[in-house]
Amino acid sequence: MEDISATGYDRRNFLKIMGLGASAAALAACGGGATAVSPSPTTAAAKTAAKPTGSITVYSALNETTNNQFGDAFKAAYPGTTIDLLPLAAAGDLQTRITAEKASPKADIFIGGSSEFHDPLGKAGLLENYVSPNAAQLKPEFKDAAGFWTGWYTGIFGFIASTDRLTKEVGGKLPATWDDLLDPVWKGKLILPDPVKTGGGYIFIATQIFRFNKDEAKAMAYMKTLHGNIADYIGTSPGAIGAVSQGQYVGCPNWAHDILTEKAKNPGVSLAVPANTGFEVGAVSIVKGAHNLPLAKAFVDWVLTPEAGALNVKLSNRGSTIASVPPAPGAPTLASVSLVNYDRQWATDNKSRILTLWQQTVGRS
Amino acid sequence: MRSLQREPVLLLALLAAIALVLAFIVYPQIQVVLVPGADGYVSFLTGGTWTLPLTNSIKITLLSTTTAVLLGFVFAYAMVYTPMPWKPFFRIIGILPLLSPPFVVAAVYILLFGPRGIVSYGVFGQSPSVFGLFGVWGVQTIAFFPFAYQLIADVLSRSDARLEQAARNLGAGPWQVFRSVTLPLSGPGLGAAILTCAIYILEDFGNPQLIGGGFNVLPTQAYSLIEGFGDFTGAAAVSTILLLLALSLYVAKTSLDRGRSFVTVGGKASSMPRPPVPVTLTRVCFAACLALAGLILLVYGTLIVSALTLYFPTNLNFTLDHFDYLRAHALSLQNSFVYSMLAAVGCSIFALFAGFMVQRGTWPGRKIFDFLLIMPAAIPGIFFGIGYLTAFNQPWSDQLAEFFGQRDLRAELIVIALLFWNIPVAYQAITVGLRQIDKSIDEAATSLGASSLRGFRDVLVPMLGGSVQVGFVTTFVRAVTTLSVVIFLFTPRSTTATITIFQLVNDFNWGGAAAFTVGDVGMAIVVLIVIQRLGGRLAVTGFRGG
Repeated sequence: MEDISATGYDRRNFLKIMGLGASAAALAACGGGATAVSPSPTTAAAKTAAKPTGSITVYSALNETTNNQFGDAFKAAYPGTTIDLLPLAAAGDLQTRITAEKASPKADIFIGGSSEFHDPLGKAGLLENYVSPNAAQLKPEFKDAAGFWTGWYTGIFGFIASTDRLTKEVGGKLPATWDDLLDPVWKGKLILPDPVKTGGGYIFIATQIFRFNKDEAKAMAYMKTLHGNIADYIGTSPGAIGAVSQGQYVGCPNWAHDILTEKAKNPGVSLAVPANTGFEVGAVSIVKGAHNLPLAKAFVDWVLTPEAGALNVKLSNRGSTIASVPPAPGAPTLASVSLVNYDRQWATDNKSRILTLWQQTVGRS
Repeated sequence: MRSLQREPVLLLALLAAIALVLAFIVYPQIQVVLVPGADGYVSFLTGGTWTLPLTNSIKITLLSTTTAVLLGFVFAYAMVYTPMPWKPFFRIIGILPLLSPPFVVAAVYILLFGPRGIVSYGVFGQSPSVFGLFGVWGVQTIAFFPFAYQLIADVLSRSDARLEQAARNLGAGPWQVFRSVTLPLSGPGLGAAILTCAIYILEDFGNPQLIGGGFNVLPTQAYSLIEGFGDFTGAAAVSTILLLLALSLYVAKTSLDRGRSFVTVGGKASSMPRPPVPVTLTRVCFAACLALAGLILLVYGTLIVSALTLYFPTNLNFTLDHFDYLRAHALSLQNSFVYSMLAAVGCSIFALFAGFMVQRGTWPGRKIFDFLLIMPAAIPGIFFGIGYLTAFNQPWSDQLAEFFGQRDLRAELIVIALLFWNIPVAYQAITVGLRQIDKSIDEAATSLGASSLRGFRDVLVPMLGGSVQVGFVTTFVRAVTTLSVVIFLFTPRSTTATITIFQLVNDFNWGGAAAFTVGDVGMAIVVLIVIQRLGGRLAVTGFRGG
C-alpha cells in the first residue's frame, strides 16, 4: 500500500497546524465563504505517449484482502506509480463521500460496489466520461450507455444454510427455487438482510418482482408469505451470513461469493443458487476532477484486463465480466445459473416506492 | 463575575469560543440541514416513511433512558455511599461499556444471547429473539449507563455530608434521608444524566442497526438511506428531525430545573463523614454491581477468546495469528490514540471554559450557547462527519494545507470533529459541578482583586477535578471507538482503529476483528488506568468521595 513513513507527520508541526488551522477555519467559516478562492487543481502533465506515472487516489469498496494484492499487481504492471488506497467496504458511503467532496475532489478512482452506486454519480456530473478500449469486449449490459462507469465483476444472489440444522430440522433439502422458502417447515428458521438497510435485501425483493414479470401484487404476496417464515431481518449482509454460520438460524438469501468465502472458514455451511435469481454488476469509474487523469485511465484499462479480472476472482470469489476469465472453484457463474430478467434501471428508479409498498405489506409502517 | 467590558482578556476568550462553536458545530450542521431544500423536505415529510421510525425512536429513548439512568444511579450510589469492596475494579467496569467499538460488541451479544447463543441456548436451552425492541433496550441499557453513572457519581461525591448527618441527628431513617436529602440534591446530576442519556440514545445508530432487526429508528433510517440508496437528501431530512427532537428534550429539561438551586458546596469545605449505610444495603449494592460486572466481563471475555481461536465458535483451535493484524495496522491504532488524546485534552479545556462562562457569566445569548454545546449529542456521527466534509473540503482548505506543506488537513479535522462531537458530556459534567459550588467561593477571589479568569483558574478548576475527569475519559473513550464520525473524514494516512475493525468485519475476518478490538480496547484501558492514578493524585478537592 501507500508509503506512510515518508509523509508521516512531525508531531510539532501537527500541533501547530491544529492550532492555526482551527482558528483559520473558524474565521473562514464565519466569513461565510468570503475567503473562497479559485481551485488550484494540480493537473498532471500533458498526455504523453509514454506510460503514465505519478500517483492516484483510489476509493475502494472491495474487500480488504483484495485491496492489498490488487494494488500491488497494478504497481507491478505500471512501475514507478503509487496508489493511495482508501479502503471502505461500503459503496454507499463512498458514493456519499464523493458527492460531499465535489467542491474539491480527492479521489481519482471509485472502484467496487454495484453499478447502482456509480450510476447516480455519473448522472450528477461527478464522474469523468471514459470508455476504455478494453471495454469493447464486454456485453452491453455490463457497461454504462453514457460511458461513466464500466462493469468489471459480477455477484450472484444465492442462499446460505447451516448444513447441520438443515439436515436435522428442514429435511436436508436446499431450496431449488425461491418458492421453496415458503414451505412452513422453514418457519422461524430464515433470516433476510433487511431490504430497507441493505442493498442485498432490496435486490432480493426486486428479484421477486422480476420473477413475476413486474406483477407487484404477486411479488408482494410472496414477500408476505415469506415474512411468516422469517425470524428476523438483519441490519447487514455480512452479519446475516455470520448468524447462519454460527447456527443461530438455518438459512438466509445472501451473496454467493460471500457465502463461499465463509465456507472456506466454516465448512459447516452450504451454498445454493435458487432458480431465477438476481445479480449485481460491480463497477469502476473515474471521478471528475481527478488529479492524475492519464494514470486513472490506465488504471481502468488495467482493471478491465483478464489478469486483473482473474486476480479479483481468486481473491473475492466473484465472477468477471470478461468471458474468458474462469470462475472461482465452486462458484456459480452467470452462465451456469438461472437468472431472472433483472431490469437494473427499473429497480433503481422504483426503489423507494417498492420499499414503502413492502413495508406496508409486511406491516412495518 | 465582573462585567465583561472590564475584562478584555475574558471577553476575547469568550468571542474566540463563540467563533469556534459557530465554525465547528453550527456551520457544518447548516450544510447538512440545507441539503434537502424546501422541496426535499416537503416530499420527504409527505412520503411518510419517517413516522414509524419516529415512534420507535421515541419509544426506545423512553425505555432505555429510564433503565440506563436507574442502573447508573444504583451504580453511582454504591460507589459513593457504600463501603463496598473492589471499588477500583468497579470504576473500570463502569466505563468499559463505553468502549464499544462498532459491530464487534453487538456481534458478541448475538453470539452469547442469540437463538442458538452460547448462554441463551447452550446454558439455558432457550431460543430468544435478540433482534428487535427488547434486544436494543437491553444492549442500550448496558451501553449508556456509564454516562449516567459518571455524571451522578460526580454529583453525589460532592454533596454535603453535613446535610445528611443533620437529617440523621434529627431522627430521620436512612430511607428518609435518601428520599428527602440525597435524591433532591443529586437533582442536577440526575437531570444532566437523563438529558445526556436520552439524547445519546436517540442518536444511537450502532445498536439498533445490528440488534434492531426489523425495528427501525431514525438514525438507522438515515444511515440506510445513505448506505442502501445513496439518498443523501432524505437522510439529511431525518437528521433535521433528530435535531428538533433533541431541542425539545433540551427545552423540557431546562424548564424543569429553572429557578432551582443545587448548591451543596458552600464557603466551608466539610470533612465530615457520611452517615453509615445499612450493611444489607451495601451487600445488595455489591451483589448488583457484581452481577453487572459479570455480564460485562462475559462480553469482553468472549472477545478475547474470539481473538485467540481460529474461528470462534465453530473452530476453537488456539492461535495467535489474529494479533498479526495489530502489527499490520499499527498506524490506525496509533492514530486513534493520538487523535483521541488531543480531542480529549481540547474537549476538557474547552468545556471548562464554556461551562464557566455560561454558569457564572451574565452575557446575552448564553442560553443559546448552552444549547449549542449540547446539540452535538443529537447529531448522528455520520452527519457530523458529512457536515465537516461538506464544510471543510473546499479549495481554500486545500490551499491552507499547501501553505503548511501538507497534502491535506484531515488529521486535524478529525481531531476537531472528535472534540466537538464529544463536547456535550464534558460540558454537562462541568456545568453540573459549577452549579454545586457556591458563587461566593469564586466571588471571594474576585473581590480580593483577582481577575475572573484567575479566580476560575486558581479556585474553581482545582475543585472541578472530578468533572474534568468525567469529560476527559468519556471523550477519549468515545473517540477511540467511534466509526461514524471518522468514516467520511479519514484518508489512507489518517485512518483509525475503528476503520480497520470495520474492514475486518466486512472481510468475514471475525478473529482478526476481535483481536484488533482487544488491542484497541486494551490500549484505552491502559490509558484509563493511568488517568485514574493521575486523577487520584491530582484531585485536590476535599469533595470527592467516589
